[in-house]
Amino acid sequence: MPEPVIASVGASPLGRTDLPGRDLFSVALAEAFDELPDPADLVEAVYVGNQSESYEHQIMYGTLLAEWAGLRHVPAERVEGCAAAGALALRHAVKDVRNGEHEAVLACGVEKMTSAGTSGATDALSAAFDRAIEQRSGITAPSQYALLAKRYLHETDATEHDLAEIAVKNHANAARNPRAQFPKEIDVATVLESDPIAPPLKLFDCAPVGDGAAAVLVTTAELAADLDRPQVRVAGSGASANNIAVAERDMTDIAGARIAAETAYEEAGIDAAAVDIAEVHDAFTVCEALLAEAVGFAPAGTGYQSYQTPAERADGWTDVQLSPSGGLKARGHPIGATGLLQALEAYEQLTGAAGDRAVEGAETALLLNEGGVADAVTVGHVLTTAEAR
Amino acid sequence: MTDGDLDATDPRTLPGFFDALADGELLGGVCADCGQVLLPPRPACYACGSRAVDVEPQSRKGDVFSYTAVHTPPPAFAADAPYTVAVVELADGGRLLGRVAADYADVAIGDPVELTVHEPTAAEREVALDYETDWPVHVFEPR
Ligand SMILES: [Zn+2]
Repeated sequence: MPEPVIASVGASPLGRTDLPGRDLFSVALAEAFDELPDPADLVEAVYVGNQSESYEHQIMYGTLLAEWAGLRHVPAERVEGCAAAGALALRHAVKDVRNGEHEAVLACGVEKMTSAGTSGATDALSAAFDRAIEQRSGITAPSQYALLAKRYLHETDATEHDLAEIAVKNHANAARNPRAQFPKEIDVATVLESDPIAPPLKLFDCAPVGDGAAAVLVTTAELAADLDRPQVRVAGSGASANNIAVAERDMTDIAGARIAAETAYEEAGIDAAAVDIAEVHDAFTVCEALLAEAVGFAPAGTGYQSYQTPAERADGWTDVQLSPSGGLKARGHPIGATGLLQALEAYEQLTGAAGDRAVEGAETALLLNEGGVADAVTVGHVLTTAEAR
Repeated sequence: MTDGDLDATDPRTLPGFFDALADGELLGGVCADCGQVLLPPRPACYACGSRAVDVEPQSRKGDVFSYTAVHTPPPAFAADAPYTVAVVELADGGRLLGRVAADYADVAIGDPVELTVHEPTAAEREVALDYETDWPVHVFEPR
């Protein structure tokens, strides 16, 4: 079975930009192919993670971006799974290479979220939730996650101060990431005193609205070597759906994330303790706590210690470092591109290209990307250095 | 697999569920194999995969399981904000999300509430899809 690897990555600027989605993609693609032959000479299929047509009144994003890459007559499709769309696109590319169907597949993602202001983004994102009961009750993305956060704070020793510390940690990481939407440090008071969005979540508990695109080239290990590219192995991939309605799920045991991660660990032949760095889906601060527990980094009820050093954390925690990019919170969260931005961070960390934010000795990364609230759909990938096998 | 005869009068469809709710009856699916309560009812049980789902009236009384307040609403509900939303665990075991007719500061986890139903207001009809126009809206009242 061919071994899929990531052979190149690229991204557009993140945040409020003056570029529409297809142009953001062109910027990301140009970076990814800077030292490669043209896409038309390599790419055999295209998958595009994209949340919503309401931002640009544009579907058919597979066709559009394939054309903008100079590709015609290749299989190309948009992949939808709200904020998990990017990792779903990556997963499709990985499977195509693994099963021998293609040697080089482009997984990309794009979202032009700023086109209709905050209320437009709020409306577009609310479409990810159950329509019949939950949307009609006026639910939003922050309020969905606030229901998890309220319950998590009720069941554990975690406090709003702990959640604020997660945001502070991720901003500190982003301050060393030139790609970040918010490359600046903040303090706990800034978080705690920020505007209420959906209590206990405040503005600085929430990932920002922003534009962005990312491109990840998945190839066989042989092709990446022929192209003389630094390569990162995609050693495992897992995905899991859960109930559409948040009310019907276990709101603090994020089962879908556990299943997606464990599937990826099993394929990679590792356990959670082997993971050095993790890019998890911290769309809201509480997510990082919940996911640290779900994917096996932290004992139940202690995931909120993710901001602490390994020595400070409770017994049973692994030494993993979470969200070295700054996470969704501070690196940025252009919905359909996010799962690929996570892959980009891991690629740079594992190929020695992460500059000031490099995590020393990192050889194994977990990517965990969610869509809808929490584990409505979750995708996990394990990436390792070529040497780690 | 059967269910080929599902139509809009069947409470395992949304029109059927909301028709009953408009008459004040909250119907749930109850899995004949594992007991899971499904709100609203549907043809299959997510817990065990069984398609032996009975439709049974559910208690409208329950307790607040988690709650928050929406300060940044979707445009359709801008006039209502901030409003309180909760996940309620009902006495018969199902869980349902809905608005709570109380200020956020006056609610706590474990508070007893009861589901009430009203006809959609003019504003609610305004934002409804065509087929949703007459669907009732549920609200939890503190009890
Ligand atoms: Zn069942």
